[in-house]
Amino acid sequence: MTTKAITNAAYEWVDERLGISDLITFGKHKTVPVHSQTFWYYWGGISLFLFLVQCLTGVLLLVYYRPGAEAYESVRQITYVMHFGWLIRSAHSWSANLMIFAILVHMFSVYFMKAYRSPREFGWFSGMALLGIAAVFGFSGYLLPMDELAYFATKVGLQIPAAIPVVGPAIANMLRGGTEVGEFTVQRFFALHVVVLPAIFLPLLGFHLWLVQKWGNAAPPSIEALPKEERKTMPFLPTFLRKDLAMWLISLNVIALLASLFPWPLGKPIDPLAPAPAGIHPEWYFMSPFEMLKLLGNVLPGAIGEIGGLLLFTVGILLWVLIPFYDPNSSSGRRGRNAHYFGLVAVFALLATTIIGYWTIR
Amino acid sequence: MNYPFWDIPHLGSGWVIGLIAIYHVMISQFAVGGGLYLPMAERKALKLQDPTAKAAWLEQLHKHSKFFLLITGVFGTVSGVGIWFAIGLTQPEATSTLIHNFVFGWAMEWVFFMLELTTVAVYYYTWDRIPEKLHLKVGWLYAGFSAATLIIINGILTFMLTPGDTWIGVAGTGREASVFWNAFFNPTYWPSLFLRTCVCLSLAGIWALITASRLDGDKQPALKTAVVKYSTKWLIPSFLATPILMVWYVAMVPASQRAILSLGIDTIGAGTFSVVTRIALVIIITSAAIIGVTYYTAYRSPRDFSLSHAIAILLLALAATGSGEYGREMLRKPYVIGRWMYSNGVRVPHVATINHDGYLAHTNWVWNGQTDSSYSRGEAIFRGECMSCHTLDGYRSMRKLMEGRDGAAIESFVQMLHDYKPDSPYRRYMPPMSGTDQDVKDLANYLNSQINGAGGPPPLVTAGKLEAPKPPQPLLTAHK
Repeated sequence: MTTKAITNAAYEWVDERLGISDLITFGKHKTVPVHSQTFWYYWGGISLFLFLVQCLTGVLLLVYYRPGAEAYESVRQITYVMHFGWLIRSAHSWSANLMIFAILVHMFSVYFMKAYRSPREFGWFSGMALLGIAAVFGFSGYLLPMDELAYFATKVGLQIPAAIPVVGPAIANMLRGGTEVGEFTVQRFFALHVVVLPAIFLPLLGFHLWLVQKWGNAAPPSIEALPKEERKTMPFLPTFLRKDLAMWLISLNVIALLASLFPWPLGKPIDPLAPAPAGIHPEWYFMSPFEMLKLLGNVLPGAIGEIGGLLLFTVGILLWVLIPFYDPNSSSGRRGRNAHYFGLVAVFALLATTIIGYWTIR
Repeated sequence: MNYPFWDIPHLGSGWVIGLIAIYHVMISQFAVGGGLYLPMAERKALKLQDPTAKAAWLEQLHKHSKFFLLITGVFGTVSGVGIWFAIGLTQPEATSTLIHNFVFGWAMEWVFFMLELTTVAVYYYTWDRIPEKLHLKVGWLYAGFSAATLIIINGILTFMLTPGDTWIGVAGTGREASVFWNAFFNPTYWPSLFLRTCVCLSLAGIWALITASRLDGDKQPALKTAVVKYSTKWLIPSFLATPILMVWYVAMVPASQRAILSLGIDTIGAGTFSVVTRIALVIIITSAAIIGVTYYTAYRSPRDFSLSHAIAILLLALAATGSGEYGREMLRKPYVIGRWMYSNGVRVPHVATINHDGYLAHTNWVWNGQTDSSYSRGEAIFRGECMSCHTLDGYRSMRKLMEGRDGAAIESFVQMLHDYKPDSPYRRYMPPMSGTDQDVKDLANYLNSQINGAGGPPPLVTAGKLEAPKPPQPLLTAHK
């Protein structure tokens, strides 16, 4: 038997049991629409790639990281002693931030292409849930180095759940493992970050990807309105996949550039008795809600402002998540335009409050 | 501006050279590689049997040569002159050394440069006006002239990194020009020439992809496929040879300087020059990404290849080129001319004299300080000895690097740089602080007042009122 014959036989044996050829045929028949907005289709794939980078670098960090009382010391060793430890840590932090950014771009492109409409509602819901979990990933990961910035940012951040009426303080204490942020908090956040969140995130991601395969990419309404013969497409296998891979390479390169030129710093060890250093602020993706609460706090001081702010957020997020129900189909005309304007207002509000936020901490 | 010390706050004068140089290299190496690409592609087109395909290829090359003429003839030449202005202001001593050593080299360079400019214009304006074969010959001529410019400048650039033992043996005797060829064909000449040639060929392909992407893949599928695939093949020599050439190049650099490459393996500590290791990583990963992205977007899907794909590849090439040039500059530390002149313009054998007589007694420029205080002497020393690499509060910021040190700690740090003991880690990338004990104190005083706000210039009191300090006066005048 030649090598080729052996390979073929082995492939057939596996194929009979797993049905790989069916998948390849499916991939070749599956098409991706080609139009002026095709660029936005890559952002889901980029988010996925950045998540994979998170997993890989996260596991490598796990080898040396020690939660609890030694957290800071272990991160110091990773950054200043281990060979290329700084690289893995910087790549992890940078790709985490880039992942949130890519998910946001992905979300807004889905929103403006109205890709949440029937039959893709579950894709939208699961995507929103994934974004929510990614934000918690970010919040829990931020504390793990236990440097000054991490400590104070977490202290401030936990004031948000603490502001929930009645149950708030209990929730905050549970997250902290006591009344103060300390080594128990690190231990809890660590468990959340490396076990609990991935256990929820991974199956949800699988569900999200399965839906994308099931329903395919949605084209914007203007393209869908065209007669079928005027719509251009490309096969998912191999054309779209190749371009996806090129995008992944570019993303990897962006991470490498950022991690090399701006390696992630490690601040001073914490001193709980010292006053918070000047300019403490949340991560950029929490800046907008932080600033909105602050602005609202100026108008409505005290507990009313806090509760009002939380209520306003909850309503805003609910409206955003439930968009498929009140902008359901392409014939909805004016309602469709209203959803579009709502999206523009949301983008503007996010950008404006983020900019004001950074402006005022200077 | 305080000529001869060029004040570029925040950015630092080195980066002015750097930014112009990176931009220039992207274009000048295209001029060399693209100079070969044009006649090679033209010859390929002329050999085509199908007259329609031949005409389409030649039409595309005509368009590409216009793009080539504009980019290299306008942006390339202007930025080349820009480098002269920038290096003359930032490193007058080193520039002077290069001019005096390589008078003949520069003369040849400029002759070829003029020939290059002339032939490229002739090449473009004679499309369809002279016989095909003659036009192709003009193309080959251009390729030869532009290659010659690289062959010459490469000798001078590599000389700065590795002048070689023969030249070092006669340096400072006034007979330097007698060993011109030894200095020219220095240890890193050949690896650098091959390395740069590979980069030139890659850039020829990458820039050609820009014009190729403008072809309509639906209207001219065969032409677009052929041109895009042909252009991607220009990246192959680089892909195969660069790793080996890199190793060869680095192996020819003195071990003491090569050690800089490993400083950042285990740390990102500020002031430790760990950035060089990181830059080396960027060079490797970006080069690999260029090959991968070109393969997936261009070679495998030539018809769909768009301008945004081409620009993405060009930006990656910019990142790789920028990192490569930055890495090469850093590898030369602590010298601007290897083993002969430190990066602050002090010649290695002059350190002892300066230590004896004082830094200000030996600068080429007469010191013109307004008040003879320790602070203003320190400022003059800072301008002379530190500012070619450091800024006060921007790139390699003194405020950041000296943060948390009080006056005594700053002085002992400067003293440590002055002592330059054999085991000092700073020897790997910083020149010694040259000067007398008083110079050490003056520089430390100046730095201390900048960082901790102590011991600065006395406030000017006129009629009992505190006046705002006068705008900075030139501290040095150039009448040697």
